[in-house]
Amino acid sequence: MRVLPRRRSREQAEGTWYPRWYWPGFALPGTLWMLVLFVLPFYVVVSIAFGTVDPVFQSPLPIYEPWWWTNRYLLEEWHFATGEFRAVELRTLVYVVLATAICLVIAYAVAYYVARFGGKRKGLFLALLIAPFFISYLMRMLSWVELLQPNGYVNDVLSFLHITPHPINWLAGVPFTVVMGLVYGYIPYMILPLYGFLDRIDQRHLEAGRDLGANPFWTFVRVTLPLSKPAILASLVIVTLPMFGDYYTNNLLSGSPKTTMFGNLLDNAMEATGQGPEAAVLVLFLVVFLMIPMLYYMRETAKAQRNQ
Amino acid sequence: MARHPKERLAGREGMTRRELLKRSAAASLMLPGAAALLDACAKPGTVATSSTHASGPGVGRYWPAGSPYPLARQDSPVTWKLWREPIKSGLAPEKGATLQIYNWADYVFLKVVREFCKAYNCNYQITTFNNMDEGLAKMRTGQLQFDIFVPTPDVLGKLITGRLLQPLNHSYIPHLVSDVWETYQNPFYDQHWHYTVPYTVYTTGIAYRRDLIPDAQIRGMSNPYEIFWDAKYKGKIGIYDDYREALSMGLLKNGITDLNTGSPKYINEAQRTLISLINAVNVRTSINGVYIGIPKGTFDIHQSWSGDIVAAWQYTPVQNMKTWETLGFWFPADRKGAVFNDTIAIPANAQNPVLAHHFLDWMMTYKNAMLNFSWNGYQPPQRKADPATLTTTKSYYGEPYVFPWLTDAVVFEKDFHVGYFQEELTPAVDQLWHNAWQAFNSA
Repeated sequence: MRVLPRRRSREQAEGTWYPRWYWPGFALPGTLWMLVLFVLPFYVVVSIAFGTVDPVFQSPLPIYEPWWWTNRYLLEEWHFATGEFRAVELRTLVYVVLATAICLVIAYAVAYYVARFGGKRKGLFLALLIAPFFISYLMRMLSWVELLQPNGYVNDVLSFLHITPHPINWLAGVPFTVVMGLVYGYIPYMILPLYGFLDRIDQRHLEAGRDLGANPFWTFVRVTLPLSKPAILASLVIVTLPMFGDYYTNNLLSGSPKTTMFGNLLDNAMEATGQGPEAAVLVLFLVVFLMIPMLYYMRETAKAQRNQ
Repeated sequence: MARHPKERLAGREGMTRRELLKRSAAASLMLPGAAALLDACAKPGTVATSSTHASGPGVGRYWPAGSPYPLARQDSPVTWKLWREPIKSGLAPEKGATLQIYNWADYVFLKVVREFCKAYNCNYQITTFNNMDEGLAKMRTGQLQFDIFVPTPDVLGKLITGRLLQPLNHSYIPHLVSDVWETYQNPFYDQHWHYTVPYTVYTTGIAYRRDLIPDAQIRGMSNPYEIFWDAKYKGKIGIYDDYREALSMGLLKNGITDLNTGSPKYINEAQRTLISLINAVNVRTSINGVYIGIPKGTFDIHQSWSGDIVAAWQYTPVQNMKTWETLGFWFPADRKGAVFNDTIAIPANAQNPVLAHHFLDWMMTYKNAMLNFSWNGYQPPQRKADPATLTTTKSYYGEPYVFPWLTDAVVFEKDFHVGYFQEELTPAVDQLWHNAWQAFNSA
């Protein structure tokens, strides 16, 4: 009997054949990472939110079997979230939107300048942009605490310039201080992705815009800005998501209930005996809320890819 | 109830006698396993923990419903039962050991520990926690084997019910009897000191800047707690970022002296009192506002533990007497205010229990306790530390243990008979306190 030769694929014929698992295999480390460091911990948070507390130690007791879950804490916190916490939720939204908008304006300008006009000094600028990452967020905030003290340098300068007759107590629950702290703390995370994208914009697009009669302003508005939309969205997501959960900026720069943010409520619940499930429920509320910008980002990214 | 056709009807085909016997035998073998399986499938957290008064971990008159153990109160002391025998007397300390100390951050003078290790030929390792919950969480795992733990009295019920502390052998700790206040020979939270020795004692009062607020002003007020509402100091007033301390101040301001109250009315009133502080003076919460904020000028007035203000001189930007004189402290002259103490205990799984007992004794001796006081500002309940002379006796640093203008920060033994002690709450009452605190924070 004559045996027919096995049909070879094109890759095999060209000598570039790989087993079927080869390419998906590259996703394995990332998948494992996500499973171990995101999916499992997240399930623990869910199990705590729908779990109970230890009758003696009052520590959270996660319940991993969904059929035993209780919605007691969910209902309790929902009551607070739609009642007493509303002022905090609204305040957090306002602070984050304001801080993100300021971040975007400053970060875009800086990134644009470095990308377009950095010239030979681009390396130096890039090093300066990365410099804040060498100092921890906490240390940078603490340095602001020193600067903003009633007898600190900020008040010294303002008094010297006769802008204020008396020192301003910037640390006494002033919303401006908290928003400024958020801007200062998160802006490096916005500049870098914006710079990375703006630097890669094909110059020929800009030249084409000018050739078609647009002046530099309209070239920026009609070419650069739309092209950088994915980068803007990505940097907004990078900055906004952690800002919503931020609690230490307010703790360090204010400490007043007048500027309490959602992260502070979460932190309070986390640190209080017997409040573990409440804290987990607040985490879930925040996650659900943050899904909205995240889904919008994913939709826009997918749309941009389709258009390409 | 209608059955689904796919369900198999049991015994439809009948069963022979032999089959019946075989299946019965198999079932009898499987039942214990099934029981274990069902037990494993039981709802977590529903394991019976309700100990009766007779079988409970301790004996006390105040045993509210919902609490797995009696709660200690000044008028209802608790005697914790010995869940195991203490170590035998006369044992030699472990040689070449590393004493594992689990303590609050910056709460023990390393010189005291080093001298102990020199005397007992051992090493030491200090691990710190930032709050009692964190401390308890690590203790519970049982993975970390500490020799020394510094719990507050309001968590003793948990620790002893969970069998996380070991009973003490008093023969190793003679200095508790000879050097420590009579009150702590038999404290109400641990009668016969079965599990703990006292570490430090402190009160909660008001710290203020004397260069801005004369002593006479605050002492002349009919209700000095009202100074927190003085709009003159708006933006420079702080309270502790601690739900018990902050709400206790609200209760005291309202004239309620039961700092363990379960009354929703009183708790709600204290909550409203605190919330009114936000609009009146833009109050801020902090945990280091006394020893960092007051010397720096961030705060003019701050709720204060006596130990914080005693140690605050070490944090003034300029180190001289004139600056130190700006630190003030008020506590009721009749000593009817919030009082508290910390304790030292030995975890059940300590690897060096004999050495740990000797360390407890070391900390109870006058010389070492006062050396520790020099550094951390928290007074030990020592008989020889005459409160009248603490403002004149020089500490290790050459300054008085307590500056004369801070006499209110000196703690007296009688404070623990007339003052108001914060003790453990039932979970339901604790929830009320937490809700009030959250309402304040989100106001």
